[in-house]
Formats: sequence, structure tokens, C-alpha cells
Amino acid sequence: MMSLIKGEISKIFKRRMTWILLGVMIVYFTIIFFATYGVASSPPGQMSAEILTQIKISLQLPGAFDTIFSTARTIGTLLIIILTASVIGSEYSWGSIRQVLTKKGIRYQYVVSKLVALLFYATAGLFAAILVGFGLSLVTSSLLGSIEWSFLTPGFIGETAGTFGWTLLGLLPYIALAAFFSFLGRSAISGIGGALGLYVIEAVLVSIFTSSGGWLAKIPDYLLGPNIDALVPATLFAHNPFLTSGAPPSIPHAIIVITIYCIVLISASLVIFQKRDILVG
Amino acid sequence: MTVSQEIVVETKGLTKRFGKITAVDELDIEVRQGEIFGFLGPNGSGKSTTMGMILGLIAPTSGSVRVFSMDVRHNLPSILRRTGALTESTGFYPYLSGRENLRYFARITGGVADSRVEEVLETVDLTKRADDPFSNYSLGMKQRLGLASALLGDPEFIILDEPTNGLDPAGMKEIRQLIIKLGELGKTVFLNSHLLHEVQQVCDRVAIIKKGRIITQGAVKELLNRKNQLQIRTTETQKAFELLSAQDWLKEVTRDDKRILIEIEPENSFKVSAFLAEHGIYLKEMRYFESSLEDLFLKLTGEETL
Repeated sequence: MMSLIKGEISKIFKRRMTWILLGVMIVYFTIIFFATYGVASSPPGQMSAEILTQIKISLQLPGAFDTIFSTARTIGTLLIIILTASVIGSEYSWGSIRQVLTKKGIRYQYVVSKLVALLFYATAGLFAAILVGFGLSLVTSSLLGSIEWSFLTPGFIGETAGTFGWTLLGLLPYIALAAFFSFLGRSAISGIGGALGLYVIEAVLVSIFTSSGGWLAKIPDYLLGPNIDALVPATLFAHNPFLTSGAPPSIPHAIIVITIYCIVLISASLVIFQKRDILVG
Repeated sequence: MTVSQEIVVETKGLTKRFGKITAVDELDIEVRQGEIFGFLGPNGSGKSTTMGMILGLIAPTSGSVRVFSMDVRHNLPSILRRTGALTESTGFYPYLSGRENLRYFARITGGVADSRVEEVLETVDLTKRADDPFSNYSLGMKQRLGLASALLGDPEFIILDEPTNGLDPAGMKEIRQLIIKLGELGKTVFLNSHLLHEVQQVCDRVAIIKKGRIITQGAVKELLNRKNQLQIRTTETQKAFELLSAQDWLKEVTRDDKRILIEIEPENSFKVSAFLAEHGIYLKEMRYFESSLEDLFLKLTGEETL
């Protein structure tokens, strides 16, 4: 099992796509920080002083950490969907899945090794995003004034580590979702299409249900987006399609819902992969 | 090569249906230890599906597959530890080099040293191009890498699906020699192929499959002994034909416009020449036709071609 996991980690590392996605993440962060700085440095005339202050806080340490995590959550979701679908779907298009299974033969190990490797890269990618965001926030903080390092207390570091954990937890169901659709459709396209499609549809549904009122307004509490939003709230500038006027679910509720999604999707992937024929020739 | 009576692969009533299509129908085959077993059939006859079921990639609809006396459904990892496979579309990671691909598969196979990777690269003559990305390989090189991967764990049982696909004549010859060498080393080889000539040259026993059903199976020599023909052209066709037809030491004599066809063992063909010369008839042409698997296949199936 460990050999499969190490092999998966090594293969993903050597793929050009992994580094392209990292590049996309860096560019996205850079755009978010400098575009926001552009607004902060030359605000439109109609912008209130209160909003301007909030913008400046979101670019200066320690407030910038909220921007970093919510930006990481948004772009991270999209990138991890693409990476997951590609890592699983490509095995079908290249036919390498047959080679692997004729060496090992234990199918659940194959699925688990993929998911563990993707979890590893989600963690590494999130860590890289925090570093990139921190670097950019150093620049914007300096441009907007001096940096006060007094915020760097053990309490703050612990809180940041906690937010890191919540953000990572928010990425997991999308790994499971993309994996499920990739195994179901035996391709990267079905993985990306299915997971991104659901991501977009869910955002639309959340807005419809929330504005409907009554019992329909409760449905978003059981969808992914609002629950992840409960763990990592969005800032003003990181696009969040799940922003609603309603109160977000509680954190324990969010953890339970996200865990159930992960368990159901991973179990479904395992069952599909276990039962299906891998055609030869 | 030494063929024992121990059975490595045994299928009983093996059947696979894809919806309404029956790809493999009540297949019973036995592959013995140390033999090179040819599995012949036209494209779409169920060869690859059978191979998939032996390797546990495809679940049978009914029937059973036992490899090393173990049921594939319940003992697949143990079976695969002793098995190497080259699947028809050799799937490797295009962004990795040939060597990196093999190292990856060596790692997940377990117990395969890096030196073994170099050994199999050498065996299939890919050492010089081992660091090129797989995506730059020709079809022939991909086949060689697939073969190298099949040999990685020094398996006792090797399944090869169309191993000479995409190879030039020299490459085909090398692979044939390699397969024969594997047999000499005591490996059991299951060779899927639609190239009858290739199978005839390397296999001890064959099974011919058509539309998912076995038409015939047995030792190549026994199957081919059914028909050995001498073809002659003489100075006097009709007279020669009448003389030869009257000889009871000849099994069967037929003729067409200018040729006489005689069924006779190769070692006795000189007697025909001597007999005709005694009667003042001389040979203009004499050719011995050993019957081939292709002839046999055509005879058994009525197929025009594979």
C-alpha cells in the first residue's frame, strides 16, 4: 500500500500539469492582492470610508490572513477538482490502469492510494498558497504602511493553524466528488465536468432556496458550499458563490455534513471501481 | 523446453456477456507449466476478454478461472505476484521515461531491484532509449517496454497480448526468439495473437477461438500433421497422375490443371521422384508444403482471413 501511495505522489510531482496548476494559483493570488491594492490606493469616488478601511485591513497583516484563506479556498477548490479528475481520468485514457492492476490486483488499494496522494497535494498546495499569500501580503502591507508584528502570538498561530485545517477540510469533499465522477465516467472530463457542474449548480440552488423561505431555505444547510462557508468565511474580495443572507450552519453541523459527503462519495467510488470491468485491448 | 503435466491456467465454462453480446462462450482451456500456449482467433473473437478474465480485470458472467490452482476471484494478488502481463494497448505514463515507468511498476510490484529494471531493458533492447519520454516512443518501442514490464518480477507465468504489434520484421523475430527463450527457461507463456505464422513458430500447443467459442485445441504438431502435401509438375502430367494414383504407398493423390498434389510424409518425398524417373517421367518442379495453422484455421472455420 505504501509503495502505491509513494508511487502516486511521485507521479503527480513529475506531471507538468501539477506545476501549471501551481502557477495558476500564484497568478490568481497575485491578481487578487494587487487588484485589491489598486482599488485601495485609488478608490473610486463613491466608495465609503468604511469599505475602504475594510479593504486595507484585508491587505495588511494580520487581517490579510482572512483574504489568504478565503482565496485559497476558492481557487483551491477549482484546482483540486482539476488535479483529481486529471490524476484519475488519465489512467483510463493512457491505459496505465491495466498495468497497475495487473501488478497489484487489489483495487481498493488503488483508489485509496490516489486519494491519499491527492490529500497530500491538497495539503502541500494549501501550504504553498499560504506562503504565496503571506509573501504578497508582506508587500501590500508595506505599501499601505508599516507591519506590526505584535499580532504574531502563540494564540494567533494556533488560530491560523485551525483555519488551515478547516480550509483543508473544505477541499476534501471536492476531491471525493471529482474522484467519484472520474471513476463513474472513466475520464478526466467527466470528473471535471461533474464536480465543477455540481459546484456551479449548487451555488445557483443555494441562492434560489435561500430566497424561497420556509423549509426550502433549510436545504442549503445540507449542501456543501454553505457548510464549507461556515468553516472558512469569505472576505469581501474572494469570490464566494455561496454567500447568503441567511446564517451559516454551525461548525459541528458543517463538519458532520462534510464528513458524510466524503464518506458517501468515497464509498461510491470504491464500489464502482471494485465492480466494474477494466476492458482490455 | 520442459512441459510438465501441472496445470497453470484452467478455465471451466468461462463465459462473458456484455449485454446481449456473448464475447466468450463456455470456454474450457488448460495451459500446462512450461509450455508456450497460443491463443488464436480473429479480431473480436474474445481473446482479449479471456485474457482480461485470467488477469482479474474482467469479471466472468459464469464459469471459473484458476491460475496456479487458485481461483482468480479470491486469490488475485497471490496469482499476480507470479504473473507478468503485456496487455494489448501498452499503457504507460507518457510524461515519464521508459526507465522511470519501469521503476514505478517495479516499486508497486514489490521486491524488484533497480538492477532488474536495467536487466529487462537490456533484454528488450531499450537501454539506449530508456531515458526518452514514453510519449516519444514508436509503437514498436512501446511494445518492447510492455514486454519489459511483463518480465519485471521474473514471473513464472507470462501473458502476452499481440506482442509483435507494431514491430518491424527484425523486431518480430527478436520477440519470437525471446518467447522461445522464456519457454526454455521453464516459464509458462500464454500468447494471444491473430498472427498464425507467429504462433506456429513458437507455440507448443494452441487453441483456436472464434466468436467466443473454442474450435479446436491441441499440440501444434498434432494439429498440423493432418495435412502434408507435396506439389509436383512433371513432363507428363496425366501419365504421372495415373501412375501415382495406382500406388498404395501414397495416401492421397489429386491433380489440377498442371500440378499433382500428393499427401506424403516429408521424409518419403524422394521416393516420388525416383518412382517417376523409373517410368521415364521427369520433374519440372517439386515443392513440399507443410500444412500451416492458417490452412487449419481456414479449414476449420471457413474464414477467408484472420
